Amino acid sequence: MAMVKTPVLKVILCGEYGVGKSSIFRRFINNTFVPNSDRRSTLGLDHFEKPYQLTDKTVKLQLWDTGGMERIASVTSSYYKFAEAAILVFSLDNASSFHVLSQHLLDIVTYAENAKIFLCGNKSDLEGSSPQVTDADIETFCEQCHNLISTTYKTSCKNGTGIEEMFTDIAMQLVESNRSRIELQTLDHNSFKISNPDPVDEPSCSC
Amino acid sequence: MDEEYDAIVLGTGLKECILSGMLSVSGKKVLHIDRNKYYGGESASITPLEELFAKFNAPAPDETYGRGRDWNVDLIPKLLMANGLLVKLLIHTGVTRYLEFKSVEGSYVYKGGKISKVPVDQKEALASDLMGMFEKRRFRNFLIYVQDFQEDDAKTWKDLDPNTANMQSLYDKFGLDKNTQDFTGHALALYLNDNYLQQPAIQTIRRIKLYSDSLARYGKSPYLYPMYGLGELPQGFARLSAIYGGTYMLDKPIDEIVLGEGGKVVGVRSGNEIAKCKQVYCDPSYVPDRVRKKAQVIRCICLLDHPIPNTKDALSTQIIIPQKQVGRHSDIYISVVSYTHQVAAKGWFIAMVSTTVETNDPESEIKPGLDLLGPIRQKFVSVSDYYEPIDDGTQSQIFISESYDATTHFETTCLDVIKIYKYGTGEDFDFSKVKVELGEEEQ
Ligand SMILES: Cc1cc2nc3c(=O)[nH]c(=O)nc-3n(C[C@H](O)[C@H](O)[C@H](O)COP(=O)(O)OP(=O)(O)OC[C@H]3O[C@@H](n4cnc5c(N)ncnc54)[C@H](O)[C@@H]3O)c2cc1C
Ligand SMILES: Nc1nc2c(ncn2[C@@H]2O[C@H](COP(=O)(O)OP(=O)(O)O)[C@@H](O)[C@H]2O)c(=O)[nH]1
Ligand SMILES: [Mg+2]
Repeated sequence: MAMVKTPVLKVILCGEYGVGKSSIFRRFINNTFVPNSDRRSTLGLDHFEKPYQLTDKTVKLQLWDTGGMERIASVTSSYYKFAEAAILVFSLDNASSFHVLSQHLLDIVTYAENAKIFLCGNKSDLEGSSPQVTDADIETFCEQCHNLISTTYKTSCKNGTGIEEMFTDIAMQLVESNRSRIELQTLDHNSFKISNPDPVDEPSCSC
Repeated sequence: MDEEYDAIVLGTGLKECILSGMLSVSGKKVLHIDRNKYYGGESASITPLEELFAKFNAPAPDETYGRGRDWNVDLIPKLLMANGLLVKLLIHTGVTRYLEFKSVEGSYVYKGGKISKVPVDQKEALASDLMGMFEKRRFRNFLIYVQDFQEDDAKTWKDLDPNTANMQSLYDKFGLDKNTQDFTGHALALYLNDNYLQQPAIQTIRRIKLYSDSLARYGKSPYLYPMYGLGELPQGFARLSAIYGGTYMLDKPIDEIVLGEGGKVVGVRSGNEIAKCKQVYCDPSYVPDRVRKKAQVIRCICLLDHPIPNTKDALSTQIIIPQKQVGRHSDIYISVVSYTHQVAAKGWFIAMVSTTVETNDPESEIKPGLDLLGPIRQKFVSVSDYYEPIDDGTQSQIFISESYDATTHFETTCLDVIKIYKYGTGEDFDFSKVKVELGEEEQ
C-alpha cells in the first residue's frame, strides 16, 4: 500500500476579479484571511497540494489560483488543462459577478472538458437580509446550464464558514466519479513532466 | 494603464513571455500587452480548427475533420531538444509544471530520394541503410571519438586541435564520405547550411554531444513536444510573470512608443492612455521602423488523415532534407505531430514543411518535402519576413527580439532571449535565480 502513489487532482478557481478566489486559495493553504487583499501575499504562489483522507482512500487536491490574470486580460487556456474540477466563484454581495458566470462556464467547458464543475457563492458574511443573489437565482442558473454544475456551496473567507466542508465534499465527489480513472492514471499516462536529470547537481534546498 | 512600470513588454510570443517572466521574477514591475485577443502571437496554437481555416481564407472544414476544438495547430513548427536550453529554462523557472510532453518518435533524414531513420544507437546504426558497411565502421569510430571527447582534456582530442582545425578536417581524419557528412552535419548537428565545415570543429562536436545527451534523456529521439501544442509554452511563461505580479492586457492596440530625451523610451501609448516605463521589450511587429528584413521563411501547414509513409506509422517525427540532397543552400525541415498530442482530432496528423526562401517561387522550393507526405487533405502556405533589430537597444532602451527562424528547435530562440536579457538588465541570464518556491510539492 505504501508504494501506491496518492492520486493528485487538479482543481482550478475561476470567476471575476475580486470575488475572493485568492482568499479561498489562502484559506486552503494556511486557513488565514487578509481583509484588504494585498496581492503580494500570494505573489509567487502558484498552486498548493493538500491531502484529503476519505473513508477508504487518500487523495491530494491540488488547488490553482489564477494569478490575477483575469483582472484585465483573460486567463491563459493552459490554466484549465488537466483540471479534474473547476470551482466557479462569485460574490454573494455582487450580482454582476454572478451574471457573468456563464462566460466563465463556457471557458471551463471549452478548455477543461472533463472537469467537474462546482459553484461557490463567496462572502456569505455579507449576504445580509436582502441578498444580491438569491437562492432562486442560483437554482435558475444551474437549470439553465443543463445541470453542468455538480454542487453549489456558500462560503465566507472572512470567518472561514463552509471552506473546508467544500473541499472535503469536492474531494469525495471526485473520488466517486473518477474511481476507475484514478486507478488508471499511472498506467495510461504516456506523456510526462520533464524534470532535472541529476538532482545531485542541484544545491540542496534547505528552505 | 496610467501607471509607471519598470518594463513594458509588447507581444505575447514565446520570447516576450520568457522575458516577461524573467523580469517579474527578478522583482521588476512589468506590464505585458498584446494587440491580439489571445496569448502567443506568432507562437500561438490556433484553435478551434475553423479559426485556422478562416485565418487562411479557406472554406470551413467539413465534418471529416472531427470536432474543431480538438485541434490546436501551431503556426511555427518547433521541437524541444530534451537537453537543450529551453528545457533547462522550463525546469529552472518551474514552468514545466504547467506542461506535459511526449517524446518525438523518430528523426528521419532524406537521402537519394527516400527517407531513412537517423540511427539512435549502435544497433540501429549497424542496420541503417544510410551507410555502406565500411562507412559504418568509420562512422562508429567517429561517434566514439565524439563521445570520449572532453573539452578540458587535450588527450581526448587525438592530435587535432578542435579550436583551430575545421570540421572538414575532422571528417577527413575519419574518412567519412559526403553522404555521412551530410547527415551528421544536418541531422545530428542540425546545421542549416554547410558553412560549419570551414569553422572550428569544436562547435560541431558540441552540437553532436547535445544531440546525444538529449537522446539519452528520454530515449526514442532527442526531441520533445508539449501536449496541446507549442502555444502552451508562452502561456506557461505568461503565468509565471503574472504569478510574480506582472499585469496582463490583451486586445490592446499600441499606437505609439513614446520617446523622451536622447531618443530614450518613456512610455507606450494606446489611444489617449499612456503607460510610463523605463524599458520596452517587444517583437519586430511593434516597431517596424527599428528592424530590418533579414530573409524570408516559408511554412506550409499540411493536414493529413494518415501517418507519413515510410515512418512506421510514427505519431510524431521530424524529417530533415539536407540542402545538398536537393540542390539548395538551406535545409528543408518537416515536423509531424498528431492526435496523440491533443493537437488534432482522432486519426489526424499535422505536418509542417518549412525552409528559408531562396527563389521567387518559394512554394516549389518545398515540393521535395510535400512529396514525402502522401495525400494532403488541406494545405496552408505562408511566407513570412524574418526581421532582426537594427541595434542592440541600449540607447533607446527598446529591446527587440528577432523573428522566429526556419529552424525546427528552440536553441536559437533561447539564445536570442538570453542576449536581450543581458542587454536589457546588464546581467547574465541566471538560471539559478529563478529557482523558486512556486509549488509546495517539491519541498
Ligand atoms: C530538426 C532540426 C533541424 C534543424 N535543422 C536545422 C536545420 O536543418 N537547419 C538549421 O538551421 N537549423 C536547423 N536547425 C537549427 C540549427 O541547429 C541552428 O539553430 C541554426 O542552424 C543556426 O545556426 P547558425 O549557424 O546561424 O548559428 P550558430 O552561430 O551556429 O549558432 C548560434 C549558437 O547557437 C548554438 N546552437 C545553435 N543550434 C544549436 C543546437 N542545435 N544545439 C546546440 N547549440 C546550438 C551554437 O552553439 C551557437 O553558439 C535545425 C534544427 C532542428 C531542430
Ligand atoms: N467580507 C468578505 N470579504 C472577502 C471574502 N473573501 C474575499 N474577500 C475580500 O474581497 C477582496 C477580493 O478578494 P481576492 O481573494 O483578492 O479576490 P480574487 O480577485 O478573486 O482573487 C479582498 O479585499 C478580500 O479581502 C469574504 O468571504 N468575505
Ligand atoms: Mg486573485
